[in-house]
Amino acid sequence: MPLLEIKNLKLDFKQGDKMLRAVDGVSFSMEAGETVCLVGESGCGKSVTALSIARLVPTPPAIYPEGEILLNGSDVLKMGKKELRSIRGGIVSYIFQDPSASLNPVFRVGNQIKESLKLHRPQAATDDEVIRLLKLVGIPAPESRIRDYPHQMSGGMQQRVMIAMALASEPKLLVADEPTTALDVTIQAQIMELLLDLKKRLGMSILLITHNLGIVGDIADRLAVMYAGQIVEMAPANQMLKRPLHPYTRSLMGSVPKLGHELERLNAIPGNVPSIGFMPTGCRFHPRCPMAKSDCSQKVPELVQVEPGHWVRCPYWSES
Amino acid sequence: MAETITNVTAGTDEDIVNLSPWQIMWRRLRQRKLAMAGAVVLLVLYFVAALAGFFAPYGYERQDRDRFFHPPTKIRFDGLRPVMARYHLTEPGSFKYEPVADDRKPISLFVQGEKYKLLGLIPSTTHLFGTGDEAYPIYLLGTDQYGRDIFSRMLYGSQISLSIGLIGIILSYSIGVFVGAASGYYGGKVDTLIMRLCELIMSIPGLYLILALRATFPSNLTSVQMYLLIVVILSFVGWASTARVIRGMALSLRERQYVLAARALGQSNLQIIIKHIIPGTFSYLIVGATLSIPYYILGEVVLSYLTVGIQEPEASWGNMLNAAQNTEYLRNYPWLLAPGAAIFITVLAFNFLGDGLRDAVDTKSA
Amino acid sequence: MWQYIAKRILHLIPLLFGVSLLTYMLMWMTPGSFYDNLKQNPQISPEKIKELEAKRHINEPFYVAYSYWLLNAVKGDLGYSLAYKMDASKLISTRLLNTFLLSFFATVLAWAIAIPMGIVAAVHKDSIADRALSSVAFMGLSIPEVLLALLALMLAASTGWFPVGGSQSPMYDLMEPGEKFWNRVHHLILPTLVLAASSLAGIMRYMRSNLLDTLRAEFVTTARAKGMAEGWVIYKHALRNAINPLLTIFGYSLAGLLSGAFIVENVMAWPGLGRLTIEAITSKDYELVVATVVMATALLVIGNFIADLLLAWSDPRIRLK
Repeated sequence: MPLLEIKNLKLDFKQGDKMLRAVDGVSFSMEAGETVCLVGESGCGKSVTALSIARLVPTPPAIYPEGEILLNGSDVLKMGKKELRSIRGGIVSYIFQDPSASLNPVFRVGNQIKESLKLHRPQAATDDEVIRLLKLVGIPAPESRIRDYPHQMSGGMQQRVMIAMALASEPKLLVADEPTTALDVTIQAQIMELLLDLKKRLGMSILLITHNLGIVGDIADRLAVMYAGQIVEMAPANQMLKRPLHPYTRSLMGSVPKLGHELERLNAIPGNVPSIGFMPTGCRFHPRCPMAKSDCSQKVPELVQVEPGHWVRCPYWSES
Repeated sequence: MAETITNVTAGTDEDIVNLSPWQIMWRRLRQRKLAMAGAVVLLVLYFVAALAGFFAPYGYERQDRDRFFHPPTKIRFDGLRPVMARYHLTEPGSFKYEPVADDRKPISLFVQGEKYKLLGLIPSTTHLFGTGDEAYPIYLLGTDQYGRDIFSRMLYGSQISLSIGLIGIILSYSIGVFVGAASGYYGGKVDTLIMRLCELIMSIPGLYLILALRATFPSNLTSVQMYLLIVVILSFVGWASTARVIRGMALSLRERQYVLAARALGQSNLQIIIKHIIPGTFSYLIVGATLSIPYYILGEVVLSYLTVGIQEPEASWGNMLNAAQNTEYLRNYPWLLAPGAAIFITVLAFNFLGDGLRDAVDTKSA
Repeated sequence: MWQYIAKRILHLIPLLFGVSLLTYMLMWMTPGSFYDNLKQNPQISPEKIKELEAKRHINEPFYVAYSYWLLNAVKGDLGYSLAYKMDASKLISTRLLNTFLLSFFATVLAWAIAIPMGIVAAVHKDSIADRALSSVAFMGLSIPEVLLALLALMLAASTGWFPVGGSQSPMYDLMEPGEKFWNRVHHLILPTLVLAASSLAGIMRYMRSNLLDTLRAEFVTTARAKGMAEGWVIYKHALRNAINPLLTIFGYSLAGLLSGAFIVENVMAWPGLGRLTIEAITSKDYELVVATVVMATALLVIGNFIADLLLAWSDPRIRLK
């Protein structure tokens, strides 16, 4: 049984009397210990998909019209409040994009970590355990840091505190939603290194959400690329990075600056991700697709397996 | 998550990309029913105030010495025709009235009555409604302790109370905007001095300062002088908070590229302030002014209520309420509170409009 | 923290100095001299007036007179009320206490009601309760205090449940101590209700929008993601943060509160500072006007100071700066 299995997940936002679909039929699964990266531009639905795993998208305005999210075999979408509370932190923990906003400014960081412990490992809710966790995430002199308020720390330190807090409850799955986007470039690398290290040491699964394909290479076992609420390509990481098949994935890779390739032109993808409620007909990517055919605006492409473990939502994947 | 949700709302705005900010604001405002209702009520109020002489059946000074504390005249309908009855005193010496049984007098439109000047210019004797018969006076909201028609006085009073709000806000915002923009733009010693002065003014509880200022001037002023004095006093107290907000905006605006560009092109400081700094604060000004007008209206009400504002026999909503201070009157003749209701409706309308405007301007609110 | 307090106190002194200078100047500019009114009173001898004028240095230049006033004020002597024939300081202290009592209880009452109302409205956003509370608040925001106070007087006059104005009964001096206390309380209730009602709406609306903002904050999602029960998320994480901006508002709202008290005092005959100001102005008792305005300002700046301290105590970001 996979640790996480999302089947045909659909999510609507109710706005006025219109229903706007933010996630449209997303399916994927994760084994224990596996690291999956969900990649896509802002607004493609990757964050709400990730938040849905612990039902953290407020309903309303969100509605789940279809789909299942099986976490350890039981459907999160059918859970009551009490069950949800036990899986939040208990099985799946989160770290978010902006650590300075994600930590509560008026409580000491030690207390915030201890809160996590009290909820899931009450017998371990001690200062010693908090210090051990802070050490684990590489915070120097943790004994003096536990009485700090978040604003007394740097962004990188704050994110480490967030990670410590997420790890405190010993989850099986860590969801990292753009964990480095709000940080300086040098700090970004440190945090990614920490995540990689923790993955190796603790053997937990990580679902990494990012819009930056450049950071996924080292850590990801598998990649899933999302566009406009749908997965457009999914494959083992090295396979996809070597040979991306969907035109969108290719454009994404073309827009990542690489060291040693300064002279090459960066290929920005023309246009924007379509707004929810203004979806193009046919293939959702066709207005921006460099190799769109005339029938792309009519035919809705399916996600098909083209090689073992490699799924693509484009009938013309084999071309070029 | 946040980004996804903002995207949901941004979706519907896609078609308004090509409109000017004012058009966008107007579109968004139009969707807010309460704000539009407030705007309509205000238009009606100001229209009626402007033509008070026409809408009021009587002049504000007219006394009916036979009918002190006359209750509001009941209007019945004889088929489609509105009719009224005379009232007589139930016992002499008291002020208890009852309608005369089987008495009826039709009420008609465009009747001839007292002379007045429409908009202060055109002499006329036509009033919107009335009986046209001195023996059948119509007092929609009753009369006061001098037998004056409260409805008519309220309409004349609205000319003062409503216009003081507008003129006061224009004056205080003009001072506040200019001083604030200059203070923020120049910075340095000028800025420090002005801001200390603002702090000083703002640290005195508003009404205490207003009253102290009022005491500085003689009490026997003509009604025009008094009107201007009230406006000046209220604006003197009010400009400080505007100046502070505008200064803050000017501080950030002066670092913007287009201001730096204007300076590089050699425009004078005054030109930059007027052309680039002040326009950048317009949306705040519109909302702020709408929500502040009630304070000016209430300022006049309080001053006049305390008998140091608009003086009798001139009518203003504030000095009309002064009659209601007498608890004996208040208990027996509650219609004396009618101007209070008028103030309430006006302030409510301004608040509805201001709230709607704020939402319309604020792009963050969904 | 102590440094912060010391800095704030040092800031108050020039402010009070400026306010007294401004008010003294305004009173100096009033038509006629301070004692003109008195000169027409046949009961007061010209010698007495001369003595007063000399004592207050009225016939000397403005800055001399003001300096003497300031010197005396620092010593606690705020001048002499001609209308009341007593020391202004003594007169003001009882009035100040009355205004303080009225404002204090009104504040406590308003906040005690408005905060839960705001919480309910925010937590159950767009529910019937929210809509009802929000529209009541909107109405409340638009009712002028004058009207509210007059309506309260009408209620008192027609039901007899409350005394019609004043702070004590005419028979007060003949009462037993316990009776005296209840008599005071009975008189205080209605003005307090009116003043509280007039500031309630604003606080409730602030509380609602603050809490809504905080409930959207990312740390609230973090708290939920930990598996914390929704009640704890709201009452521990969100509320604790929504209170900080509210404390700032508390400071600002005091000015409005004192202006509100001014109106309530005058409509409902509550013998506080505001009523004294009007009495002083109508009897041309100008030294008393200066004294009341300075005292009202002192009340306001001290209130603001307390609000700042509360904020610093509540928000580590300010305390530890």
